[in-house]
Amino acid sequence: MDRFSGPTGTYWLGTDEFGRDIFSRVLSGATSIILVSAAGTALGILLGTIVGLSSGYAGGKVDEIVMRVMDGLMSFPALLLALLVLTTLGSSHVNIILTIGIVFMPRVARVLRSATLSIKTMEFVQSARLRGEPAYYIIFREILPNTTPVLTVEASVRLSYAVLLASSLGFLGLGVQPPSPDWGLMISEGRAHIANAPLIVLAPSVAVASLVIGVNLLAEGLREARELPKGERTP
Amino acid sequence: MSIASFLSPATQESVAPPAEGVPLLEVRDLSVTFYTPRGTVRAVRHASFTVRRGEVLGLVGESGCGKSTVAFATLAYLPGTAEVGGSILFEGRDLMTMPAGELRDLRGSRIAMVYQDPGSALNPTMRVGEQVEEVLHTHLGLSGQAAEERAASLFESVGLPNPARVGRRFPHELSGGQQQRVVIAMALACEPDLLLMDEPTTGLDVTTEATILDLVAELKNRVNAGIVFVSHNLGVIARVADRVAVMYAGQVIEEAPVRELFANPSHPYTAGLLSCVPAPVNETGLMPQLRNIPGSVYPASEPNVDACLFADRCPMVQDICRESAPPEIVANAEGHPVRCFFPERVDSDTWGEPAPRPRKPRSTNEAPLLQVDGLHQYYGNDRKKYIFFGPPSRRPVRANVDVDFAIQPGRTLGIVGESGSGKSTAARSIAGLERRTSGEVLLDGEPLAAGVGDRPRGQQSKVRMVFQNPAASLNPRLPIGSVLVRSIRKSRSVGKAEARGIAVELLESVGLDGGYMDRRPRELSGGQQQRVALAAAFAADPELIIADEAVSALDVSVQAQVLNLIAERQRREGTAFMFITHDLGVVRYISDDILVLYGGHVVETGPAEAVLRPPWSPYTEALLSAAPVPDPDAEPSRIRLEGAVPTLRQPFAGCPFAGRCPRNLGDLCDNTPPPMRVDPADPRHQILCHIPLEELAADQRAAMRGRSAVGEAPGGR
Repeated sequence: MDRFSGPTGTYWLGTDEFGRDIFSRVLSGATSIILVSAAGTALGILLGTIVGLSSGYAGGKVDEIVMRVMDGLMSFPALLLALLVLTTLGSSHVNIILTIGIVFMPRVARVLRSATLSIKTMEFVQSARLRGEPAYYIIFREILPNTTPVLTVEASVRLSYAVLLASSLGFLGLGVQPPSPDWGLMISEGRAHIANAPLIVLAPSVAVASLVIGVNLLAEGLREARELPKGERTP
Repeated sequence: MSIASFLSPATQESVAPPAEGVPLLEVRDLSVTFYTPRGTVRAVRHASFTVRRGEVLGLVGESGCGKSTVAFATLAYLPGTAEVGGSILFEGRDLMTMPAGELRDLRGSRIAMVYQDPGSALNPTMRVGEQVEEVLHTHLGLSGQAAEERAASLFESVGLPNPARVGRRFPHELSGGQQQRVVIAMALACEPDLLLMDEPTTGLDVTTEATILDLVAELKNRVNAGIVFVSHNLGVIARVADRVAVMYAGQVIEEAPVRELFANPSHPYTAGLLSCVPAPVNETGLMPQLRNIPGSVYPASEPNVDACLFADRCPMVQDICRESAPPEIVANAEGHPVRCFFPERVDSDTWGEPAPRPRKPRSTNEAPLLQVDGLHQYYGNDRKKYIFFGPPSRRPVRANVDVDFAIQPGRTLGIVGESGSGKSTAARSIAGLERRTSGEVLLDGEPLAAGVGDRPRGQQSKVRMVFQNPAASLNPRLPIGSVLVRSIRKSRSVGKAEARGIAVELLESVGLDGGYMDRRPRELSGGQQQRVALAAAFAADPELIIADEAVSALDVSVQAQVLNLIAERQRREGTAFMFITHDLGVVRYISDDILVLYGGHVVETGPAEAVLRPPWSPYTEALLSAAPVPDPDAEPSRIRLEGAVPTLRQPFAGCPFAGRCPRNLGDLCDNTPPPMRVDPADPRHQILCHIPLEELAADQRAAMRGRSAVGEAPGGR
């Protein structure tokens, strides 16, 4: 068995301490990290949007209480919160997604709340109130579509954080358990052998970095594509 | 009433000083084109005009006509996407070819600009004195004591109170009018030869506007500079300009001395603009219907064509107008340049005979539609500065105090006052957007709950509101049709398809076709957006429409369209309107009854005819005399209010207006709340004042005779 083999024609990036092909492991690790971070981000955005829009629209005491709770959640360091959730619920893909969602919810809620505060004073919202529209209609039909510029930016920023968070969890051993090909886990396990086979660590690290940068570029492109042709102004 | 009779015979006198050979500013064949990702914008198309020393050139036209672009081009201050053609000669030297360094020296020192919004022209983090000293330092090399003294003398010259100390203030500590004075002081710092003023009074209250216009008129005589004054308001132009250039679609289409232009407009567009301005009530008491210019300005996105750009909106268009462009500029019979083939055919009836607008006769025994008694609206509560400690330090803002009024079915109540007088608050309380603090509101005799959400469906659909900003009153993400369909289905039980049919009819009733149903608000012009907002308000067949500054953001031609739509609706459906505006011309035009608010209190109320005639409350008198009249011969009236509406956190010890009242009697006014006096001639006409009404009326009549009637009195001219 080829342990720590350098890059060869068969093993493009060489093998690790068990003789597993690093290149294949990086490739197969990609699916899980992308799925986990995307799903986690989606969950965080969903929860945060609902909380932020409702709280901002309600205003007053409700808003005050909800936002203080969000502040409380946010004051936990993300990793500590993740540690708490994952040690109580056990480690699985679903729980990691849940963790990311919970970590992101207050941050998204905050951004969406402030967008809501400025949109809800606009005349079209007041017209809707005068028509006698119920709150859920105003929140989701009148206000939500106008937050999409904020939402896209927020989603893309969150997605790259999610990648980092998911790989950190893997690195700390809180993510999926070995032998799953998880990038964070690979880096953590490979540390001991960094002198023998630097690619064990380097390959997944470069993968994480390129994914984060790639997500950011995608976000930038999306924003320009949205803004330029119509030149529409965001409220 | 025709334009000619609206104005007195023009007294022709040349205001321009003797020519010195080279004019101060000569703009020749100026074109400005912006290349943007969304397409090409031709903001200015071959405009030419000149400005001489000591004269004020008024640039007037609807929005989108290129007025402001001309002003910025004159500073050679345009973004890199702009392509400028033609030449701008400042004392004979072309700014377009001048080296950048020289241009920089020129800007601020010899050419200065005053912007529309003083709030954003001043740096909020710097004391205003420092900002003026900065200019003095950059251009004149003054610093320290010398700069400070110079700044103080500049502040004095623009009439700021306490000039030696005002420089220590930050912009937010000054009122809007004072901020604009600081901006003007900055512009004057280096004694410029050319002063560009871009809508300098547009964001200000009418009372403040009057004082700023006084200042401009005075500056013209004091500094020997040429002034370019950009404004969309013909009343303002009439007040300050010596000569007027009318712009349309980036072209100067007529240029004339101010009196001649107002007395004898030779371009159909100019005549149209003048006939869109609401005129005072005539002797018969019938309102002449406003005429309006149909359509909208020839879009800047369209290419230059070999035709008259006004042809599509012109009532006297001929074939030739569409086939070739009118010659550069033809001198008409009076000798002033105009860009039209048939200037001699333009007269006061070009836009049709004004038809009188029938008004609903007053009926004394009809039950009011809306009855408001003792409306109080306070914002915030008594709050301690530190939790648990110390005396309460923040009192609530008393936005409406004991406001009473009634609106009869099918009639219009106009509510006037400066900003901060509580007009909009009253509207929002009645609409239910704000929960009133106390007071009773009855609609059709039934109590109206404080919050709109607590009202039964039937009541909800009886009251609708139209807002000031047409762009914000439609959801930018939803097609036009959806708001209409939604409004229709909220108030009556109809299916989707049927509601769409009704929505199309509604759009047609406001002069738009069904094709607009699927458009987004941003594809519409401001006037079209406001008409859609009106259609949405009409959708529920409401009995009362609250219009909060609904025409204030619109151009005068579009304003006339919207006012006519409102009048039409009222005539056909008997809808009552509560019309809030700061524009007294509009109030005069639209109102059956008038309510004047000051500092949250009612200071005068009654039928329009009675309110617009003496006796006035001193506040109404000041408002009326500040309103700019589109007549260059109107003598500037003498009553000016300084300062701003007082803080509403403190209850007033005496009369709310005592602090600024030119007729203040002293201790009595300051410390005793005045009685609501009833006009014996018309008991519905009531005035909040200590001065007996006979005395007020006599004083005010005498004052009016003194300045030979300014058109304030109904049928006065």
